[in-house]
Amino acid sequence: MAYQKIFYRLILRPLWRERLRSALMVATVALGVAVVLAIELAGEAAAGSFRSSVETLAGSGDFEVTATGGVPAEVLARLVLLPHAFKLRPRIEDYAVIAASNRVVPFLGVDMLADAGANPGNSGADEFQRGGSIWVGKDAGWKPGSRVRLTVNDGSADYTVRGVIEGAGEAIITDLAPAARLLGRGSNLDRILIDVPPSRPADQWESILRAALPDGMTLAPRGARTEENRRMLAAFRWNLRVLSYIALLVGAFLIYNTISVSVVRRREEIGVLRALGATRLSVLGAFLSEAACLGLAGGIAGVALGRVMATACLRLVAATVDSLYVSSTPAPIALTWAVAVAGIAIGVLVSVVSALPPALEASRVVPVEAMARGRRDHDVHMHRWRDLALGAALAVAAGLASRQPPVAGKPLFGYLAVLLLIGGAVLATPALVSVLSRATATAAGRIFGVEAMLASRSLAGSLRRTAVLVGALSTAIAMLSAVGIMVGSFRQTVLLWMEDRLRADLYLRPAGPAGADRHPTLAPGTAARLQRIPEVAAVDQFRAYEISYNGLPATLGGSDARIAGRYGQRPFLSGARPADVFAQLPGRDHVIVSEPFANKHGVKRGDTLELPLGGRRIHFRVIEIYGDYSNERGYIIMDRGTLLKYLPDPSPSNVAVYLRPGANLEQGRRAVENALAGRKVMVFTNRSLRKEAIRIFDRTFAITYALEAVAVFVAIMGVAGALLALVIDRRREFGLLRFLGASTGQIRRIILFEAGLLGLLAEIAGVALGYLLSLLLIYVINRQSFGWTIEFHWPVTVLLSALSIVYAATVLAALYPSQVATQLVPIEVIHED
Amino acid sequence: MALLRFNHVSKLYSGAPALDDVSLDVERGQFVVLVGRSGCGKSTLLNVAGAMDFPTSGEVVLDGVVTSSLSETALTLLRRGTVGFVFQSFQLLPSLSVLENVELPLLLARRPRASETALDRLRQVEMEDYGARMPYQLSGGQMQRVAIARALVHSPALLLADEPTGNLDSTTGDVILKLLQNIARKQQTTILMATHSVEAAEIADVVVRLRDGRVQEVLEPASGP
Ligand SMILES: Nc1ncnc2c1ncn2[C@@H]1O[C@H](COP(=O)(O)OP(=O)(O)OP(=O)(O)O)[C@@H](O)[C@H]1O
Ligand SMILES: [Mg+2]
Repeated sequence: MAYQKIFYRLILRPLWRERLRSALMVATVALGVAVVLAIELAGEAAAGSFRSSVETLAGSGDFEVTATGGVPAEVLARLVLLPHAFKLRPRIEDYAVIAASNRVVPFLGVDMLADAGANPGNSGADEFQRGGSIWVGKDAGWKPGSRVRLTVNDGSADYTVRGVIEGAGEAIITDLAPAARLLGRGSNLDRILIDVPPSRPADQWESILRAALPDGMTLAPRGARTEENRRMLAAFRWNLRVLSYIALLVGAFLIYNTISVSVVRRREEIGVLRALGATRLSVLGAFLSEAACLGLAGGIAGVALGRVMATACLRLVAATVDSLYVSSTPAPIALTWAVAVAGIAIGVLVSVVSALPPALEASRVVPVEAMARGRRDHDVHMHRWRDLALGAALAVAAGLASRQPPVAGKPLFGYLAVLLLIGGAVLATPALVSVLSRATATAAGRIFGVEAMLASRSLAGSLRRTAVLVGALSTAIAMLSAVGIMVGSFRQTVLLWMEDRLRADLYLRPAGPAGADRHPTLAPGTAARLQRIPEVAAVDQFRAYEISYNGLPATLGGSDARIAGRYGQRPFLSGARPADVFAQLPGRDHVIVSEPFANKHGVKRGDTLELPLGGRRIHFRVIEIYGDYSNERGYIIMDRGTLLKYLPDPSPSNVAVYLRPGANLEQGRRAVENALAGRKVMVFTNRSLRKEAIRIFDRTFAITYALEAVAVFVAIMGVAGALLALVIDRRREFGLLRFLGASTGQIRRIILFEAGLLGLLAEIAGVALGYLLSLLLIYVINRQSFGWTIEFHWPVTVLLSALSIVYAATVLAALYPSQVATQLVPIEVIHED
Repeated sequence: MALLRFNHVSKLYSGAPALDDVSLDVERGQFVVLVGRSGCGKSTLLNVAGAMDFPTSGEVVLDGVVTSSLSETALTLLRRGTVGFVFQSFQLLPSLSVLENVELPLLLARRPRASETALDRLRQVEMEDYGARMPYQLSGGQMQRVAIARALVHSPALLLADEPTGNLDSTTGDVILKLLQNIARKQQTTILMATHSVEAAEIADVVVRLRDGRVQEVLEPASGP
């Protein structure tokens, strides 16, 4: 028989007859694809963005020279004197806040004539040297002559736009000398870009340059920093990506369910077609084509939807990248043909793969089944006890996988453990469903009446369908609760940590743009001024520098160890007391490192770190490791005295002020603000700083919740679709019940009870699985990806409310199917079949 | 007055009459058999009699009320109290045991002592030992006995049976017919049964012959000598 005819009879006609259900399936695939695509696009745009921020005007530099604390101007002089035709471009790089819009933009000092190719005004090159003059990138949108107020570090001033520079993005540009003055760089540069002539291979140039550079300078091929940043972001993006696959996974379940159901319903029809000469292959092909059609439609819709969702995602992802990793201004979202085609391919692939088992089953239907009327036993092929054993085996395998170390910094075995555990749970579901629904049938009937009894019987009666539904919904619920538990635990851990860690009364930082990799500074005399205030007991100055350690960005900091020792509360990871540890820091090349740093670089207590500081390579001994959750780049902390010895810039990045016991906080705060009048300094009380930190924390995890919500939404849509199919399949039964005296209300209640039971089973299975998954997330995946230890806490309120919402939504999803069931005409449906 | 009265009842399906001006009285306790060729309107008449369907014109009076005048709720109550149905294809719920199938109408109507009553009815159809079985573990004749027990469990005044022996061999069919006849006698249940079987016509109090939706003749074989 012609394949087209089979395809039409078995597939297209039913798809069309049940348009709503087909539409639900397409929407399921579309949402799954959309989420994956949105995260990919947003991640790429956020990761790509730092390239476009500081590296504007990068030109074609082949190498770059950087150093912690700045590159001395002598280095530039030394390079100029080399007998090679290098093109050297010195840079000062920082950020400024545009006062009017509160936007953070790159602020660059460059050699205006040589580098930016700007035209000097009438007054010649002198114009570049005048303070108060800036040039702006075209995207900033100002015209020459505009006045702009900018905050840099702790100062704010008005500037005049002298010109617009092509290809500089939103950056604000001045000549080197004014930039150095403004930013207090002294004679240091932040970076020297070097173009080499093509006469020799790059590695030869590299060794020539390296020989010419003093110790402590970092020479890297261009793009190395971008690479570093991408590597640093890799774990973050991986985890987001994995989260985005959940919705797709849930979608796959539902496709499997839908195709299984169509196979079960059309068994007889398949039998007839086989008896009439259809081949196995054409039956297989027909069902796979159904899946492919759904997948194709879903994929196309998903790409369109994903492009829209990417914009919303980007805002969330970029905010996280900015506060946890690296300064970024999001790049535009780029939906390329390749990505679009990949998205559609994912839709088709996921559908076809999930449809494969039921399609194979369909192809095995033998012609005799055409005659096998009345045996509507779907569950002949269920091997629920064998599956349970298999599931247990998978769980054991998951346990083993969870003990493996990360692979190239990625918790691949952790993800594998998650998959194995989900697989195990899915295999255990039929046994769970059959035991629970049989066990509850009698009790449910006694408590809730005959409707509940019929509902639980019918769930147990079509075990396969029920099991797949419960599997899909419980997977979504499990991921929701696992991520909820993980984030809740993390939040609680951070709250407790802040309580111990933030002991000062007031915290000060410059109003200039701060970020994980930006450390604007306060004027050098700030601490001295504060110390003169009567209410102030102690002032701790903290200075941070961006460094690169083992090819990954990190933060180097100096803090007053005596004060930290006096006020410190939180024990170190080894259990050591703060007072004892901080006493060992001053006057020695000793450092403490944060837990993420230690985990990322495999550093242990007693190890030695070699750091290039102030033109020398210095060896520091790691004496302790401390818990830290402020960012995952990692900190190396030494005493302020030690830091000043190697990098003698006295400006602090942050200042912590401890008030005298009994001093009034408000008064102290006012006194501090008065002492710093005229400077742009932000003063946080202990409480407001914590609140701000938690706000950033919540913003960071907003995307996680959004992804979870989509997965749950997909699952609930699947429940609605499946219940609709169930109503259509069992219409004869509902008709019969009407003959036996059931009211329409009773019919409606049966279906709502079924949804309620499905939801209950899914929540029981989901929370149990979710608990196990959360352990994997907390103790394996998060630890291996980000390096921090999270203490386990049950986020009871959040979890309970999320579960109730999901439950309510599941039952609500049954309203339409139950409406359909009440509108069936009993005398029409009773003789069907 | 009659338990069931058809008063000039017509039923049109897209213009074509399935019942055409049918007037008929069924007295309490009577065993009435409907015969006629396939498509003559037997099933339609039963549906209309059981208030599962309604006449296009004319009226059906069941137990003193006009069925088409009742609300949805009242109809449900009428079905729960007055009517029992038996089908050609048994129509047992596959996910319920035999006993549970029989209990079902009582449970739906929220009547007390459902399982005792159900067991009692199973005893009447000699199926009391099969209460725990599932429907697929029964033979066709056994299934139909269970279906009859279910139709009678709430002691309806009227039992409507649409070809109850149609799916059974003739010996089993005879047993089922005898069973129905006994029940009608003992319990004063009125039975209205559509059938093709000749034997059925012989044991009935009244035989109604339909042709193209009209009552062709009404015979009372048992009342003869
Ligand atoms: N829902 C319907 N829509 C349209 N026509 C219908 C419908 N139900 C029945 N009919 C028509 O009404 C007529 C009577 O049908 P009915 O089912 O009552 O016949 P029957 O006597 O029970 O036949 P059988 O002995 O084959 O069961 C038939 O011509 C049938 O085609
Ligand atoms: Mg009929």
